[in-house]
Formats: sequence, structure tokens, C-alpha cells
Amino acid sequence: MKHLIKNTLLSLLLLVSISHNAIADTSTYLIRVDGLACPYCAYGIEKKLNALNGVKFITMNLDDGIVTVETQDVTLGDEQLKQLFNDSGFTYRSKEVSHK
Amino acid sequence: MQLKINHSSHTALFALLGSLAATPAMAHNPIFGLGPHVLFKDGVEITPEVKQAKAGNKDKTELALELTYGLTGDWSAGVGIPYIDQSNGSNSASGQGDLSVFTKYRFWREDGPGQQQSMAVALRLNTDTGDDAVSSGSTDGLLGLAYGYEGRRWYRWSALRYRFNGENNAGIQQGNKLLFDLVGGYRMNRTGYMEPDTVWILELNGESTQNTQVNNVDQFNSGGTQWFVSPGIFWTKRNFAVKAGIQIPVASNLNGNQQATDYRTKLVLEWHL
Repeated sequence: MKHLIKNTLLSLLLLVSISHNAIADTSTYLIRVDGLACPYCAYGIEKKLNALNGVKFITMNLDDGIVTVETQDVTLGDEQLKQLFNDSGFTYRSKEVSHK
Repeated sequence: MQLKINHSSHTALFALLGSLAATPAMAHNPIFGLGPHVLFKDGVEITPEVKQAKAGNKDKTELALELTYGLTGDWSAGVGIPYIDQSNGSNSASGQGDLSVFTKYRFWREDGPGQQQSMAVALRLNTDTGDDAVSSGSTDGLLGLAYGYEGRRWYRWSALRYRFNGENNAGIQQGNKLLFDLVGGYRMNRTGYMEPDTVWILELNGESTQNTQVNNVDQFNSGGTQWFVSPGIFWTKRNFAVKAGIQIPVASNLNGNQQATDYRTKLVLEWHL
């Protein structure tokens, strides 16, 4: 009986774990930004993106003008990005999104 | 023992360093001139700096702390407070200088891939709040207009500033001053975001000062024009910057009998939070 209860609980835990991983949405945004000329000036972008819930990783390629953001369970919309980059002193142009 | 310097010497010492308190330090802007860059919205900039000027037997050192806040992505404002130590041969004085408040508004910005052009207006007010021995004794203002281009390799700036001075209780009004800056900058290595970054800067700074007036009478040994060539360096890493430069006089046409500036130096540290 004890073995039955234990096995049932373990099975339930495994089922919940699998279900959770299936729900989590990990996305990578490649964001094209104009005005990105210097590393020092880009700190405002880092700070504002890190303040958003769900942002897990940020990197910036200044030569190509691309900010790469990895997120989990959050969607970054065009208007939101436009405001964020304007508040940082730059201009948002476009984004490409890939989902895992 | 510190002696209070008489008015004429104090006037000369004020003029020696007066224009150096004029440019709030922000991001990639010239070291001595004015640039259009502002702070990101809700950002805070902490800026300790030290400036020194020498003209013959007169020298003046100023330690200042400025705090700036980004009101929007194009508008910032802040306060600054200096500590001044100055001497004129055998006499010296030191104390807290005048508290200043400043603001800058970037009214035009054009962004392209890896580059940005912009223009801004700036206003700074030096209040009459410092110790008598080192204060100007009047409320003075500075109005500026700046243009800047920033690219992955090259920089260029130009600016015009006008300093207007009030009259103190002794009837002394320092001559108003027109300042002109033309600046170039170059980045040898295009580094990534988290890497150290160095920009070499060369400025041409011109100053044209009106005569000082005492009780509305022009003082002969005051005012004139000076030109400086000013090399400098701008080093940054992520949210920290170090700026340093020296103004070297290359031409001067000063009224009457005055000592021309030997040199001025400036060292600035900046943190963005």
C-alpha cells in the first residue's frame, strides 16, 4: 500500500513537471535599434530591459545595431519596445522573434 | 592662515576658472565644451570632478560633485556643488563655492545604423550661496546650444555658450562671456558593449570676455579673447567613465595688463545608475 501511494505521488510529480516545461515559452528577440554608436550610451538599454519581468539574457552588437533579448513567458510588443528604446535615447526599428 | 583676497584679485581668479564650471558632464560629450548628450529616463549620474587653472602666480583648484537625473530620454537636470582653493601670490583662500543648478534638453535627434546626430539647449545657474572668500557674490547664468554627431569611429561637436553675470554687493559685475567650441573625436578600436572603450578627443575652445565693471565703470585690465587647443581622452566601461583633458592656450588678446592663462586641466569620473 505504501509503495502504491509512493509510486502514485512520484508519477503525479513527474506529470506536473512535464506539464510545466511544456507551458513555459522561451523566446529570442533580435531587435534592430538605430543610434547605437557607443557602449557607454547603451547602458540605459540594459537597465530598462533588465527591469522587465521575464527577461533572462541581454546582449548588444553595436556594429550591427542589434540588441538580442532572451525572454521566458513574456511577449515584447512593438509599442512597448518603441517607448523603451526612446526612453533610453535611441530609436527602435524592428524585431524578429524565434520561439523554443 | 587664509586671507580674504581683495576684490580685484578675486575678480581675476574668478575669471581664471569661471568658464570651467559651465559644462555638466554627461556621456560622450566634449571635456571642456558643451555636447548634446543627455541621460536616459530615470537614470542617475554621479560625477565627481577636479579642475585646475593657472595664470602666472594665480592658481585655482576646484573639486566638484554633480548629480544629474534623467527626466525623460531627452531631458535631464541636476545640481552641482564645488569646493574651491585659490591663491594669488602670497594670499590664498578656500571654501565652498556657489551651488549650481542645470538642465539640458535635446530637442532634435536623428538616429541611423551605428550613428546619432542631435542638438540640445542647456541652461546653468550659479547661485550666490558660496563662502564669501571664493563666491562670485552674484547669481550668474550660462545658456548654451550644442550639436553633436556620434558614430562607431568618429565624433564631432560644435557649441556656442553665453555666460551672463550678475552684480555683487560690492558693485562688481564680471564681464559676460561668449564661448565657442569645435571638437573632434576618434575611436581606434570598435569594442563591444561590456568591453572598455576609448575615444581620443581634440577641442578648439574660444572665449571672448567683456570688461569687468565696477559700479558700471569698465575696468581696463579685464576682458579679452583667448583660444585653446585641448587634447583629451574619454575611457568607459559599461556604466563608468573617466574623462581627462588639458586646455593649452594658443592665442590670446587680453585687454590692458593681465596674465594670460598658462593652462587648465580637468578630470571627471562618471557613474550611471
